[in-house]
Amino acid sequence: MTSPNITSTNTVYTVAVPVAAVLSVLGIALSSSGYVVTLIGFAAIYGVFCTGLNFFMGYTGQASFGQNAFAALGGYGSAILTANYYWDPVLALLVSMVLSGVIAAAVGYPTLRLRGHYLAMATFALGLITYEISIEWNSLTQGYMGLSGIPPLGIGKYELVSEKHQLIVLTFVMLLGVWVSVRLRDSRFGRALRAIAGSEAAANALGINVARYKLAAFVVAAIYASVAGSLFAHFVGFISPEVFGASMVILSFTMLYLGGVGTTWGPIIGALIVSLLPEVLRGLKEMQDVVYSVVLIAILIFAPRGLSGLAVLFQRKQTGESKQTGMNP
Amino acid sequence: MIDLTQILQSLVNGVGVGLIYGLVGIGFCVIYNASGIVNFAQGVFVMLGGMVCHTLLTRLGMPLIVAAILSVPVVAGIGMIIEICVVRPMWNRGAALFAIILATIATQIMIERITILTLGDQPRTFEEFTLGGPLKIANIAISYQLFWILGCGALMVFLLFLFFTKTKAGRALRACSQNREAAALLGIPVHHMLLLSFALSAGLGAVAGILVTPTQYTAFNVGTPFGVNGFIAAIIGGFGSAGGALAGGVLLGVAQAAAIVVFGAGFKNVAALSMLLVVLLMFPQGIFSAFKGSGKGH
Repeated sequence: MTSPNITSTNTVYTVAVPVAAVLSVLGIALSSSGYVVTLIGFAAIYGVFCTGLNFFMGYTGQASFGQNAFAALGGYGSAILTANYYWDPVLALLVSMVLSGVIAAAVGYPTLRLRGHYLAMATFALGLITYEISIEWNSLTQGYMGLSGIPPLGIGKYELVSEKHQLIVLTFVMLLGVWVSVRLRDSRFGRALRAIAGSEAAANALGINVARYKLAAFVVAAIYASVAGSLFAHFVGFISPEVFGASMVILSFTMLYLGGVGTTWGPIIGALIVSLLPEVLRGLKEMQDVVYSVVLIAILIFAPRGLSGLAVLFQRKQTGESKQTGMNP
Repeated sequence: MIDLTQILQSLVNGVGVGLIYGLVGIGFCVIYNASGIVNFAQGVFVMLGGMVCHTLLTRLGMPLIVAAILSVPVVAGIGMIIEICVVRPMWNRGAALFAIILATIATQIMIERITILTLGDQPRTFEEFTLGGPLKIANIAISYQLFWILGCGALMVFLLFLFFTKTKAGRALRACSQNREAAALLGIPVHHMLLLSFALSAGLGAVAGILVTPTQYTAFNVGTPFGVNGFIAAIIGGFGSAGGALAGGVLLGVAQAAAIVVFGAGFKNVAALSMLLVVLLMFPQGIFSAFKGSGKGH
């Protein structure tokens, strides 16, 4: 499941270089125009979302095609609490986070007993149910119209009015998210999850309560998704059901698979590249979703390990390591 | 107040749409049996059936029956393209189950977007196969299209039965579903069987889409509900049996019609999806296996 290079203790390559890269991207964004700031902001938000998804898919080896449900919960929770009830954004974010975690635990408890395509369809249905509810529950969500007038992030009187200030906070939230996921991954909890990814039967034999650990990983992923949804609501100031629709699933999986499933920085790299695609492919505005789908399918076929596969190739040449086989989440 | 007429009327409507779910469900089973793959893009064939037929009707001015009959092979061809371009390369590389599922979801989104770009995002419909009607039996309206759905549904099931029992290709497909390696050793070209199963299941979806469009409408986004409902039908029927899927579809259609009467139309899909979760969690081997006592394990 995991490759040795990913879990290596060489902190220069696993911490210093990526963090420096993230900060330099932040620096470039801060010194450029508004549109790039927005794109990098989206990349940071999706980075948080994909890190959560990676926790569940990459480390635990499970699949959820319905994480957009929890992003919608977070987004709508934050939007409704701040815009309609004038709550503090941070408090709203935390409350939405807890709510998403509780709902994930309640929904995941029965759902995660399923396997294979049953699990896939059940989680996919979660996303669809949430999407339908966000359209139909007009009095709360205003349906297709969406909710607007969501204030930017801030504590008390201090609001992050400028987009660049928000971007700085988003980047640090993302880094915090990555740090938490790394700490979790290397803890006893995370090692249990990786054992489950390797073989459920073996993990069970080692005394790991498989169902409980899977559920915990699902809740963690849901909390990440919820935070991403809340951040999105505050960053854009407007949300609608479409934001958290099925194309979000494709988009986030494209990012995750492009960067590399099961790696620490892969989701972040993927989120950055895919978020910058619209800027590169300006002419393809309407074709965007088609392009994402084609890219995702191509990656799934030809490079299921994503860009991290390149790093592995590079490392293999250096160390003369023998060929690894069969790593797939 | 809900009276008897209303209940019977929704029952009639439920049977009609349920048969459509059943046809989609059979489509799931055909591919699953041949390969063990669940094609999440199944609903897209239903959408394409209606859209292609409508396009042939309006842009080329064909008569309805000709357009309907021509649409089926067109959609079956699209199904084969999906198999060749998406599923087969992953299959050959031994991709993980979740990766293949994800690829089929991506395919669905891609086809939906291409449909918007080429045909537009407006909902459309065409007239019923037999004009006139609806047939009135004591205040219950039965549209003639329901009889077309019943007739074509029965015909499809009969043809499938003949195909699977009498023809060499059908028997080969069944052999694949029992044991792919053994089938390959016996000289059955398993890859061709996968292609065949995609064509068959796309064709079935197209028939369902063409039949159902006159009773409601078709648009780029009708695929997902039909796909999910078809999947539910297949699960209720115990995933893998065609007859079970058809019965499951009717059961689902009637339950949904009842839900509409009780809760209103807005939450129709929520009701269906919740039913999916309930069925998945309580009857993972299908409802009918609970009666038989010993379910067929997967």
